[in-house]
Amino acid sequence: MKTIFLKELKLNLKQFIIWTVTVGLMGFACILLFRSMEGEMKDMADAFSNMGAFSEAFGMATLSVATIEGFFATEVGTLHGIGGGMFAAILAIGIIAKEEERHSGEFLLSLPVSRTKVVAAKGLCVLALLVLFAAVCTGIYLAGFAILGEEVSYKEFFIYMGSGLLMNIEIASICFLISSLTGRVNIGAGLGLTLVLYTYDIIGRVVPDLKDYIFVGPYSYANASEIFSGNEANIKGFILAVIIMASCICGAFFCYQRRDLAS
Amino acid sequence: MENAVEITNLTKSYGKNRGVIDVSLKVKTGDIFGFIGPNGAGKSTTIRSMLGFLKYDEGSIKILGMDSVKDHEKILKEVGYMPSEAWFYDSMKVSEVIKYAADVRGLDCSAEAEKLCKKLKLDTSKKIKQLSLGNRKKVSIVCAMQHRPKLFIFDEPTSGLDPLIQKNFFELINEYVSEGATCILSTHVLSEVNRYCKNAAIMREGRLTMLESADIDEDKFLKFYEDEEEQ
Repeated sequence: MKTIFLKELKLNLKQFIIWTVTVGLMGFACILLFRSMEGEMKDMADAFSNMGAFSEAFGMATLSVATIEGFFATEVGTLHGIGGGMFAAILAIGIIAKEEERHSGEFLLSLPVSRTKVVAAKGLCVLALLVLFAAVCTGIYLAGFAILGEEVSYKEFFIYMGSGLLMNIEIASICFLISSLTGRVNIGAGLGLTLVLYTYDIIGRVVPDLKDYIFVGPYSYANASEIFSGNEANIKGFILAVIIMASCICGAFFCYQRRDLAS
Repeated sequence: MENAVEITNLTKSYGKNRGVIDVSLKVKTGDIFGFIGPNGAGKSTTIRSMLGFLKYDEGSIKILGMDSVKDHEKILKEVGYMPSEAWFYDSMKVSEVIKYAADVRGLDCSAEAEKLCKKLKLDTSKKIKQLSLGNRKKVSIVCAMQHRPKLFIFDEPTSGLDPLIQKNFFELINEYVSEGATCILSTHVLSEVNRYCKNAAIMREGRLTMLESADIDEDKFLKFYEDEEEQ
């Protein structure tokens, strides 16, 4: 199992580097832009905070974009949330299915290793890469704050990065289940799922009738603006996330164990 | 152990489509067993059921005295399988794929792998994506043989190989079989069955028939295929 895990890490390393560098550096650039935009942001902050439902949806009603925390939450928070979700989806939706699509499944499963161990090794690889992604991005963002000489509330910052990791794992677990069910790498479905979940969260925050149901989506508990505003943790969202993750991961083991392998 | 493989009343269907129907087969230990039949007759379905790639509907399969479902992992330790289409991970080098297969088995097969690569004239420094079908097949042969398994299962192994490598391949099989291994050879090549196999069976439309002898003449061999078309 260790051999398969290490091989998967190696095979996915390029993808990991591309996404981490892209999301991390874009976030880093955004943070560095704060200083040059600070003056303009002060003028814009009042306007942004008076846009009704949209201000609330993007957290600008309670956080000022003229502060580093507000700027980070609204700009980098959005970028990291969508970028991380897409990376998690792309990584997980292909990790099992690629064996059949690229016809390497017969080679892999003719080796003395059970399907359970194959799924476990691949699942651990996804988890490891998502943790690394979060860790590297955290380091890059902290470096950005240090260069700017700005202090942020580290407690909220780490809660946000941790919630973001959990959100990525939830999206990945859904895609992992899809990957175990199909013999095709459906990247479009993974990206679509991420965007649908993100859009659902935004709509849920704009439309008053949907507010009670926002917790269903993973972006509900990984919203940077809410976390930096010091709002109460979204316990319902966390509980549901754990249930979804556990169900999808168990489902992936169950389904892959029972299906015929395409040649 | 008298029989390396014992299949009893194996039935597998793909939804409404026929796979194999009530297949029973015994392959003696030390045999080189020819498995012939038209495309889509059910040869690969039988082999893939033996290896656990397919979940069969009815029947039982015993390999090397072990149950193919319960002892799946143990069986694969003793089996070397070469699929008809040899696919690996494109970005890996040949040497990495061969070592990877040995590592998953928890074995150091470097000496045997080196011997096999030399015999098959395989350049291990190339990446998989640079290889022709024939060279990918060589990689597959090395991965199937390097751990010196007790049972070989080859699905159309020689397609894409040049005549010299084909000859070397069969020399290797004879060498392993002389040391006690068993070999199942699924093929469309009559000369391979005649020259190397001790026993043979034919599959047609999902059903298996044992042949009295592996020594078949060309007319009889082609008739197996013609009969299929006439029906």
